Amino acid sequence: MNLLLFLPETILLIFLTLLLCLTLLKKELTEKMLMPFVGSFAFVLLAAAFCSLRVSGDLFYSTYRIDLLSQGFKILLSLVFFFIFLLSGESVSIQKERRLEYFFFLSTATLGMMMITSSVNILTLYISLELSAYSLYLLSAFKQGRRDAEASVKYLIFGAATSGFFLWGFSLIAGLAGTTNLLEISKNVPVLITQPAFSLGLVFASFSFLFKLSGFPVHFWAPDVYESSATPVTAFIATASKAAAVAILIRILMLMGLTHAFVIILGTMAFISMTLGNTVALVQQDVKRLLAYSSIAQAGYILVGLLAGSFDGYTSCLFYALAYVLMNAGAFMVTVLVAKASDHDNPQMAHFDGLADRSPFLALILLLSLLSLAGIPPLVGFTGKWILFSSAMDKGHWFLVLSGVLNSVVSLFYYLTIVKHAYLEKPKTNTPLVLSMPMKLLGLFLFCAIVFLGIFPNYFITFAQTAIQQLGAF
Amino acid sequence: MNFPILSTILLCPIVGLFLILLTPRKYENLIRWIALLSSSGALALSIYLCFIFDASNPSFQYVERIEWIKSYGIHYTNAVDGLNVSMLLLTGIVIFCGILVSWSVTYRVKDFFANMLFLVSGVFGVFMTTNLFFFFLFYEVAVIPMYLLIVIWGSTNKQYAAMKLTLYLLLGSALMFAGFLYIYSLPGAHTFDLVTLKQNVVFTSQNQDILFLGLFLGFGVLAACFPFHVWSPDGHVAAPTAASMLHAGVLMKLGAYGILRVAIYLLPQGARHWATMIAILALCNIVYGAMVATQQRDLKYIIGYSSVSHMGIVLLGIATMTTIGFNGALFQMFSHGVMTALFFACVGFIYDGCHTRMLDELGGLSKKAPVISAFFIIAGLCGLGLPGMGSFVAELLVTIAAVKTYPVIGITSIIALLITAYYVLTAVQKAFYGPLNPHHEHFKDLDLLQFFPRAILVACLIFFGIFPQVFINWIWLSTKSLLGG
Repeated sequence: MNLLLFLPETILLIFLTLLLCLTLLKKELTEKMLMPFVGSFAFVLLAAAFCSLRVSGDLFYSTYRIDLLSQGFKILLSLVFFFIFLLSGESVSIQKERRLEYFFFLSTATLGMMMITSSVNILTLYISLELSAYSLYLLSAFKQGRRDAEASVKYLIFGAATSGFFLWGFSLIAGLAGTTNLLEISKNVPVLITQPAFSLGLVFASFSFLFKLSGFPVHFWAPDVYESSATPVTAFIATASKAAAVAILIRILMLMGLTHAFVIILGTMAFISMTLGNTVALVQQDVKRLLAYSSIAQAGYILVGLLAGSFDGYTSCLFYALAYVLMNAGAFMVTVLVAKASDHDNPQMAHFDGLADRSPFLALILLLSLLSLAGIPPLVGFTGKWILFSSAMDKGHWFLVLSGVLNSVVSLFYYLTIVKHAYLEKPKTNTPLVLSMPMKLLGLFLFCAIVFLGIFPNYFITFAQTAIQQLGAF
Repeated sequence: MNFPILSTILLCPIVGLFLILLTPRKYENLIRWIALLSSSGALALSIYLCFIFDASNPSFQYVERIEWIKSYGIHYTNAVDGLNVSMLLLTGIVIFCGILVSWSVTYRVKDFFANMLFLVSGVFGVFMTTNLFFFFLFYEVAVIPMYLLIVIWGSTNKQYAAMKLTLYLLLGSALMFAGFLYIYSLPGAHTFDLVTLKQNVVFTSQNQDILFLGLFLGFGVLAACFPFHVWSPDGHVAAPTAASMLHAGVLMKLGAYGILRVAIYLLPQGARHWATMIAILALCNIVYGAMVATQQRDLKYIIGYSSVSHMGIVLLGIATMTTIGFNGALFQMFSHGVMTALFFACVGFIYDGCHTRMLDELGGLSKKAPVISAFFIIAGLCGLGLPGMGSFVAELLVTIAAVKTYPVIGITSIIALLITAYYVLTAVQKAFYGPLNPHHEHFKDLDLLQFFPRAILVACLIFFGIFPQVFINWIWLSTKSLLGG
């Protein structure tokens, strides 16, 4: 077996074991060693993900597929892991003595998500979904306080319900097809498609992915969990979890194909997600809650691209997932730093007052990532949205596209409100907000990525096209 | 490939923007000079372009084409013909004067000039591109800095005005976006390139009608077409001087330009179908804008509503669907751009000196400051269409075409010009003549630096008023081919 095939996951497994060993050491020593240790591992993980980019093959009796799609997403996930590691150092809400557990679960969640992107069997898929989900339930309860526990329980109950739906749906499909291998099932789709139970199973199963994507009707957890989790955890949920959901949605939809009924159901969900998320976000004061509603709206946009069901549609979804991770990362980076500066883990709009005076660079990052989320050129969110909507329009979904673009206008209102606080309101304290060196570099990286990918997206679009081509013929 | 002059024009403000971003904020004068140099580079090149541009050739010239996102039919293409050569010149003039006028800005100098240059690169981009993707991209690039310019450096209810302006304009652009994507999805299209679309796509008459309506509404918001004009007076009033100049002078023209370049170019049948509706809306613009302007006490609001009224003339010219009408519309776009820029440059100066723009609180300023008063009066005379000024020729052309095509509307619009004369003369009389308000005893006239940009604008107005043939020569064949195709 080619070692490269399973390299990122292996690294994470070794890392997890070493973290467990680290608990055996003296407490002071552990605390001192932890951050450099995690940091170097995050770096190694990123390098490993890059090394294994171009390999492909099947593992574990064809239940686990390594291809460009999965490997691309693994790079993205390792990037997010690295990014969250950097943010965690700045966060106020993760106590020093609990950091080890925190990083442990962060790594298991990442491992789970990496496995999601490669799963081609119902069983591996279920295991990896649960691995990432349980880690996230625990992570979201990491802050102490009753309210946070409430949100975490809410997350758990919703998650458990959707994974119940997942099992129900896939048990129907597996029962009809007589196998749990998704590749085998996809060969039988032309026959199975006539069975109503098959479509029903597919709809049920997709609830589980929508849950991760925080799309309607399984979005209820998002605002509470976003609000009450420690901010780096929220950032992780908002970026890595979404990326994994897009990966698996692309894989499943490409294997199973889109029936007309399924398109109508997904389309309705997309429409409601966009409209609901944007409308409710208009009245939010808590920035993390606002970003939660914005992520519900963004889930709607991604669904529009997915249900185009065309080569261009899947390509643009892949590109948009990358864009989404970058711009959300920018927004959350600023949120974490503002939270740290105001010593309040739930920054309200008022905490952003005068950010432009206190740290012009940070305000610029905020401006760019929010405008990019709203789809303003020449940023990456705009290019992503343009190709997303143009491929949906190509398939005749003009209603969804029209409501998508109108929704973008609505969304601009609340994004600009934050910008207004940052640029216009007078700061309450005039102390400059000083950034540490890693934060400066991270900010610079996000700045460049958001701008340059918006203007020169061709390389990544070609990459996404190659990845989609490997999955199936069009 | 020849020297890419269009991209170079576009690069001037962009390079300036990056240089400013890299300059530490304490070197305020350096930042001003970078902004001035980059805008004068753009101005010089756009003037040069007017000379080397071949007016006897109605097709696209100086075409630049780079493949951008191949699979989605997106190319970076620039080209120039009669329609945009004049608009590029207008943009160059207005930004150059705008930078000079805002020499006195002292609050967040770096951010201010960066925003100005960013905005103007968007405007240049829209005027030179022939790809719908880049058209849309540059269009929005031009809108967003406007929000920041108004909200940070503006006055009078600026938060409300900025948000209103941005949301209105982006609502318009959302319609454009949907329209562009619809065109892309038509059989045979699969590209955003205007020329290819024109050649390859056969628009059914139903498509023409629906698409043109959508695009017209989208562009119409930016062109301040009635009833979507409400953002514009508020926005003009709240914006800082240079932003008002760019905004009323150039940004509003983007909408009218879009109607010509995209909507009419691709969908001539659709345009004919809706022409009467446009003419009626344009008449509403002219009459309603002028009527409201008579009731305003704030100088900036008067100019804001006069812009609405004057944009009506542009739209009326377009609605006639004749070469003369188009020529008049384009000429009006140009001369109105220069004229409003001059208006706002004057009002900005008066406001800086007197701290008020209310007509009742001004008065007798011509005694203290004859030069700025003269400038304002020249702009005013141009606004009411005095012969010898650019606007006169433009309004004459539009009216001739309009009376021929829509006699009733055409004649009503002539009568509406009388209202314009009324409010302009009242404003001039109240602000500059009569007894001097003792509060403004210390009001000082322009110094040389402040004189220079305003003088350029006046010179432009008079030059094109006396030699309109120069301008008509540039655009004549292009507008003709717009109808012939």
